Amino acid sequence: MKKEEFRNALKPITDGLFGKQRTSVYERPHFDVRPIEDMMNDLAEIDPVEWYSYAFSREPLNGKFNEEQRKEWMEKSLACGREYAQKVCEKYQTRDPKKLAQAMGMDISFPEFPEKTDRVLFAEYRVPNKICIYMDAVKKGEKLFDRPGISNLLTEGLDISRLLLAHELFHHVEEQYHHEIFTKTEKVRLWSLGFLRNDSNVIAFSEIAAMGFAQEIMGITYSPYIMDVFLVYGYSPEEASGLYEEMMVCAGRTPRTA
Amino acid sequence: MEYIIGIILLISFFGLAYYCIKGHNLMIGFLLITLLWTILPIGGTLFASEAFLASNPILQFGKDNTLIAALNKIYQSAPEGWGTTLVNVCWGAWFGRVLMDTGIASTLIRKTVELGGDKPFVTVALLNIVTALIFTAMTGAGPVIAIGVIVLPILMSLGIPKSVALFTFMGSVASGIYLNPVNFAQYRAFFIKPEEMPEFTLGWYASHWGYAALVIMLVATTVLAAFYLKRAKTVHAWAAQTRSTASEQKNAPFYTLLLPIVPVILKIWLDFSVIGGFVIAGFLALFLCGRMSGTFKENCQLVNKLFYDGVVDTAPLVGFLLTLPMFNQVAAYASPYFKVILGNVMPKSEIVVCIVFAVLLCMGLFRGPMTLVGCGAATLGVLSNVASFSVPFLYAVFAIPTITVNIGSCITQSWVAWGLAYTKVESRDFLKLSIPNAYLTGVLQYVATFIMLGGLGAAWFL
Repeated sequence: MKKEEFRNALKPITDGLFGKQRTSVYERPHFDVRPIEDMMNDLAEIDPVEWYSYAFSREPLNGKFNEEQRKEWMEKSLACGREYAQKVCEKYQTRDPKKLAQAMGMDISFPEFPEKTDRVLFAEYRVPNKICIYMDAVKKGEKLFDRPGISNLLTEGLDISRLLLAHELFHHVEEQYHHEIFTKTEKVRLWSLGFLRNDSNVIAFSEIAAMGFAQEIMGITYSPYIMDVFLVYGYSPEEASGLYEEMMVCAGRTPRTA
Repeated sequence: MEYIIGIILLISFFGLAYYCIKGHNLMIGFLLITLLWTILPIGGTLFASEAFLASNPILQFGKDNTLIAALNKIYQSAPEGWGTTLVNVCWGAWFGRVLMDTGIASTLIRKTVELGGDKPFVTVALLNIVTALIFTAMTGAGPVIAIGVIVLPILMSLGIPKSVALFTFMGSVASGIYLNPVNFAQYRAFFIKPEEMPEFTLGWYASHWGYAALVIMLVATTVLAAFYLKRAKTVHAWAAQTRSTASEQKNAPFYTLLLPIVPVILKIWLDFSVIGGFVIAGFLALFLCGRMSGTFKENCQLVNKLFYDGVVDTAPLVGFLLTLPMFNQVAAYASPYFKVILGNVMPKSEIVVCIVFAVLLCMGLFRGPMTLVGCGAATLGVLSNVASFSVPFLYAVFAIPTITVNIGSCITQSWVAWGLAYTKVESRDFLKLSIPNAYLTGVLQYVATFIMLGGLGAAWFL
């Protein structure tokens, strides 16, 4: 028996005796890690409408809808976001999210909370006019611009914080136009019992429209949903690869092997 | 001399409270205090006055009450006695894993949300009820996290501020624990041995106080959440959810959604075995949800894996809970000394106990001297030995700071700590919401305790 084998054979005994217990803890699922440029390349090719399955996967009422409805609402919500982007840009005569925010009287802050990989928070909008852009995620993402091909792929000089700001601005626009905007006026019937009924908005409409709004303002060709992978990659390439797999499967494509 | 020893014991009690509040390891803390409370009271018999020893037979060592027998009682019989409770904990943890693996728990949550839709208050109220029902059967950090990763993003996606979402979820988890048979068996073991007072069953407890405690906490949490929601501003967040949701997306058959409450109903209604209830409902869930469709070997592996995962969920508590009975036992030897010091100070009437505990509810926070899963075990040791109260009354008095305050409202609770990190809520923002809830709920529960469990007959005294 070799020295190494002998040591391995004794290991459980010594661990038991001297307290080196290997306690099992919750293990997160494992994914094969891919280079970020490959993943971005694949995701950028997905047409924004084809993101409907992923976009609705985070919707609390998703179980009540079928594929056809999801696709139709995806198209309508994206169109709604783009329409209001043009409207707002015309109104304020600028396409710069920071200038738009200023013109709309937004109160913007850039906190730097450390994040964990199970839920990475990018940005928040709080009614009536507060927006937080979480810079920890943004800075980690910006470091990836040095990787070959990334800068070209995501548009030269893309400002991530502006993209996040544009997304959050839509929620403010939505509040301003809540009587007429599609994301607030389109409702689904959850149940009815005689004269009692419960009609509800669908949260996913707002998020999809906010993506369409941000895409239009930033002039990018790909869906901003790919930022979920890009920004998580800075925390955990493995978790980002897991998200990439999910997105590709949702779009009916085969994820590339590592 | 007994006064000096009493004072040292009292100082060590406050030292333990400080140790717990600082967040040190509870198991080691209780082991050390058990050792100290063994040495001081027993060693103190060499110096104590004749009159003191004569009035406390427990401290008279001799042929019938040998020192070795006393030590064996503390360090062997006491933790062994708690073993019966431990098996309940293990099976309960297995059942929790079954509900998660079969998708029953997540389906229940999703169907509830589909009833409420985008109306934050309606959805919060419905989710609170369902969460409480689920946690009448499930227990441990694993299941809370598993349900939390479904519930919290839903609440936040409805625009509910994250601190309100976290506070209301944790409050409803705690309210369910009031009827959880595993927690009941666990806390009951602090007061009496499993075989003692057979009439003090979950059914008796539930009908005399448990239902009321659950409803009070559930209603108070929901009403406060509504109040906070009315004042709070809607929030929209862009966040990437990276945890695998594969197991959360499958829908369990509709009729299986009743299974989570089967063990509790069997226990309360028929006083049927808790473990039997877990086994019946657990295997029914596995079969009805199609999780037992593999080969015999695969099915065995699945059941085994779920049991393993469940036990791992509860493992961090087991060491502490197996040390506590030693402490509970040794408190009996220390109590004569406490009586000398505190005999005239400790409250002896039920109304005073209720008022004092209601005022001092905040001392259940940070593993302080009111919570049984902290330093409160020491307070119980002192209180139960210097005054006489019925077991159900004493149970309720300590259950409130333990469940409402510690489990439902304190950042030292493992799953609350997880929730703070998951939702990025600042501790102080959570406590600003949870402490008012702890007081509102706690005070109402003490009123219920006095009305429903005050003045019980001699049969309920030890």
